[in-house]
Amino acid sequence: MQLKRVCSLLSLLLIVALLAACAPAGTPTPAAGDGAAAGGAKPEKLRVWIQWGDNPAQLQGLFDKYTAKSGIPVEVNAPVEPDKILAALSGSEPPDIIVLSGGENVKSLAKENVLLQLNDIINSSGINLDDFYPAPMISCRQGDKIWCLPWGTDVYALFWNKDLFEEAGLDPETPPKTMEELVQFADKLTKVDENGNLTQIGFIPDFSWSHTDLYAALFGGFWFNADGTQVTLDSQPMIDALKWQQQFYTKYGADEVLKFTSAMGDYMSPDQGFYAGKIAMMVDGEWQVGPNFISKFKPELSYGVAPFPPPASHPERANTGVVQGTVVVIPAGVKSKEESGKLLAWMQSADILAEEMVANSNLPTTKAAAADPRFKQIKGFDVFINLMASPNTTGMVTTPITNELGEALGQIEEQVLHAGAEPEPLLKEAQAKFQPMLEAALK
Amino acid sequence: MEEIAISTPLSAEEIQRQHIRRRRLAAIRRGIGQLFSHLLILAMGMFFLIPFFWMVITSLKSDQDVFRTPPTWVPHDSVSVVIDGKEYPLYHVQIDGQTMELALVSVAEGRGDFIDPADPSKTYPQVRMKFATQILRVGLRWRNYIDAMSRATRPGLGVNFWTYFRNSLVIAFFTIAGTLLSNSPVAYAFARIRFPGREALFIFVLATMMLPYQVTMIPLYLFFNESLHWGDSFLPLIVPAFFANAYDVFLLRQFFRTIPEEMADAARVDGASEFDIFTRIVLPLSVPVLAAVTVFTFLWAWNDFQGPLLYLTSPQNFTMSLGLQDFKSQRAVAWNLLMAASVVFTIPIIIAFFFAQKTFIQGIKLTGLKE
Amino acid sequence: MNIVSKAGGAFRLKRPAWNKRTRLNFWIGMLFIAPWTIGFLAFTVYPMGASLVYSFSEYHMRAPLQWIGLANYANLFQDKLFYTALVNTTYMVVVGVPLTLLLSFMCAIVLNIKVPGQSIYRVIYYLPSIVPTIASTMLWLWILNPNSGLMNMFLGAFGIEGPNWLKDPLWAKPSLILLSLWGMGGTIIIYLSGLQDVPVSLIEAAELDGANWWQRLLNITVPMVSPITLFNLITGVIGMFQYFAQAYVFGNSTAGAIGSPLNSTLFYSVYLYQTGFQFLKMGYASAMAWILFFVILGCTILLLKVSNRFTYYSG
Repeated sequence: MQLKRVCSLLSLLLIVALLAACAPAGTPTPAAGDGAAAGGAKPEKLRVWIQWGDNPAQLQGLFDKYTAKSGIPVEVNAPVEPDKILAALSGSEPPDIIVLSGGENVKSLAKENVLLQLNDIINSSGINLDDFYPAPMISCRQGDKIWCLPWGTDVYALFWNKDLFEEAGLDPETPPKTMEELVQFADKLTKVDENGNLTQIGFIPDFSWSHTDLYAALFGGFWFNADGTQVTLDSQPMIDALKWQQQFYTKYGADEVLKFTSAMGDYMSPDQGFYAGKIAMMVDGEWQVGPNFISKFKPELSYGVAPFPPPASHPERANTGVVQGTVVVIPAGVKSKEESGKLLAWMQSADILAEEMVANSNLPTTKAAAADPRFKQIKGFDVFINLMASPNTTGMVTTPITNELGEALGQIEEQVLHAGAEPEPLLKEAQAKFQPMLEAALK
Repeated sequence: MEEIAISTPLSAEEIQRQHIRRRRLAAIRRGIGQLFSHLLILAMGMFFLIPFFWMVITSLKSDQDVFRTPPTWVPHDSVSVVIDGKEYPLYHVQIDGQTMELALVSVAEGRGDFIDPADPSKTYPQVRMKFATQILRVGLRWRNYIDAMSRATRPGLGVNFWTYFRNSLVIAFFTIAGTLLSNSPVAYAFARIRFPGREALFIFVLATMMLPYQVTMIPLYLFFNESLHWGDSFLPLIVPAFFANAYDVFLLRQFFRTIPEEMADAARVDGASEFDIFTRIVLPLSVPVLAAVTVFTFLWAWNDFQGPLLYLTSPQNFTMSLGLQDFKSQRAVAWNLLMAASVVFTIPIIIAFFFAQKTFIQGIKLTGLKE
Repeated sequence: MNIVSKAGGAFRLKRPAWNKRTRLNFWIGMLFIAPWTIGFLAFTVYPMGASLVYSFSEYHMRAPLQWIGLANYANLFQDKLFYTALVNTTYMVVVGVPLTLLLSFMCAIVLNIKVPGQSIYRVIYYLPSIVPTIASTMLWLWILNPNSGLMNMFLGAFGIEGPNWLKDPLWAKPSLILLSLWGMGGTIIIYLSGLQDVPVSLIEAAELDGANWWQRLLNITVPMVSPITLFNLITGVIGMFQYFAQAYVFGNSTAGAIGSPLNSTLFYSVYLYQTGFQFLKMGYASAMAWILFFVILGCTILLLKVSNRFTYYSG
């Protein structure tokens, strides 16, 4: 009995495994070392990995155009978990191009010798660096060395719900003009029911994620100095930025606010706090005005969008933004630098870049692409294009320790905003830890 | 005297009646006890059972139904009508105090255009959406399973959940093959071959079970990736299985020792080699334990997360443990599809369990009752 | 386990000469255990050695190793996150493991009651433990979802306002413990087999002496299954120190980062993985691995030592 059963189980497994192995799933078998064409010949395919990627079909369609032009098939893998990118970069057969969601890891990857320095490729493939907007280039530069090129970018602005403004007796067409006014507006837009529970909230500073970089910029600073040689975590702008955010929590009780936000739905769903009318103002990016967000999940929402207001004491800081977004890198271990370089140059050509950015409603990073008329057709997009081009807008300064510092700052934000801690001692402590770390890493 | 005379005949009856009553009482008491036991076992069992049900129920819900608060026990699906070959969702719309069943044609900026499905010429343009609620009816959405399995999450790579299913199977198959092939001779040696130092070495083998995976993780990763260039292939997951491990050696040895030695001795007298005894006598008698090892190895390989997480980088090579992440985009989770995929992920194990239930339990006991 | 030379009585300084048979057996034995020996050398001895070297070095990809002595260990003992990870793991070991043992013992007692259909109940209790870890973690993330989850609906039925299981640092670890309790079927089965081995005569004798159910449980059953408790305890503790997959998925899925919320699920193995494979500090991570090794070793020895006093062996 037992024997029979076991034998049948085993043979069943064998048959299924064999069947599965022969199944025409249309995927290449993953034998290591296959397909490495001899140097000089055309590669049989190029592999592009894109960390960000809500719409892989559209991305594949875009790169199919390169195949049509060059005859080389391009295989797009999107989205990719960050851990996998690291493993692939260090592996023996890295993809030919990797598109990272942000530039924060670039310097530490460069330090690990897994990235190709792009200066030569840029020179030889005719990419015009002068055409790039300066702000998104900041995270790619390290002195004269260029480790990545931006491929579209993001900038954040203030969204407000016009219906809720009207209900609260505010002019639905006028957003707050200063950060102080925003606090007053938020107060008017917050509702508490008879049991003391929040039912609507005016503004949550770290919704849907942290925006400390933007607030710090509005207060005149950042957590690194401009050339990335100093940690400035305990600078006044950082302290101000955290304190300003903290008040939104302390006023109604951090626990109450957290309870309220935890009951809201996913970011990409009709129940997202702002879409659902539970939050009256939010900070979010340019993709919101595109086809995949508000108009997909909550087409009935009546909203406005404007640059985030400056502090009253610094009206000259109006139109401030912090640019951060997608960058392209080439792994150090690619088979053919030349082929990767060609593909990179193609990706940066004005019409391709514009097409990709229009499709997902992201900001184009070259002036040539930004001139594309299609961007004018997206309602509200001009707010973001103007913001990126604004002289007050900066990029994220990155260093080899951006990652660790980011983790630590995230902790501090949680402690200050959600647990009511004083920002100054925490920032000082982190400053003392990270300044020597940065010095060591830059050696 | 009189009393006795009267009571004696009664007493016999009484005794019998009492006896019956007592038996009945005992039966009732036992019945109540059993009922109570059943209730207790079931009540505690709910903790184990309900999440299971919830997995299946969620896997049959429609997108709109998944996020309803409070959640519903019965899956609901949206209702749509086909008008002129196009499919439109149905809504309850309040117009002039009346509720009508209308089909939604398009929606933008807070207003929707509706038509009457009974009479498509009747249109209701620019209705404010706050007066419309989508109609949901009880219905099992089996399509979730098709969507979950065959949706190409990465069109450029031709990868869908079947790819992951197949990869998991292939890895499990070779891991099982390697485990059986490599562990049984080692266990045989420890059970039957009287070589000097055997007992000490065996204790040493057992002691290696205590080594945390993390101590070898980083050098092994670098060794497989940088030295052997095995990154992004199944090899780092499969090859180690071909080199015995303490756990299975122990399991097999315990069983081999229960096989009567006389048979082997008789064969030895006839000039059989150790290899002959091992393959012709011991192995055929050890099918139950080999089955246990097979099932446990299958379970382990099917379940493994950290190995694939470290070594597999391209989606073409992902196993199901990694592939489940596909149903989670950056900020949203398709819970119904995720649960459907989880059910598919779980089913082979449930099948294996019912196929070899005894073996399963036996194996657990065997490993649990060490020395 | 008796070691051959001891059984022989006196120790001899000179190695006893092996006769032909012994020598032959030795080589046959070596041949049979070769798969283990090779695997042990390639996948255990070599990596452990390398790991030790890495733990004293700074590792960079595509660059030679830099010997930095004890710096990794020194930094580790000043690393706040290291202690956070240690405390989180200790929480799971101290709260999670005993709770699992206690509850699985209770389940085993219930499953040992003689009622018809008991075998079906046993399957019900056992099945969750074979659901793949990632699938069961996802399932519980869904059940504990504060918005549309089953758990808070259930608690709501009793008028309890459920906590924010996944995003409240206070509740994240209890959520994970709940998840691991759902999969304690294996431990239940081991306990159950132990209960079935408790001699009926012993229990009957106690019953005759007038011991009630509780006294019999405490004075007979618990001591009789104490070796099993010890086994479950040791495997549970070792397993919990290496707790990874559930925590990884939990952190990644609830807030998109390992360890969230507020590092409350940053367990030792998770931090080790993060250090090695996300921050690329392979040397530092190796040092962490060695500390983990000694912690596990210490705990096991301690448990064995202490348990000598409390464990009953009938043999």
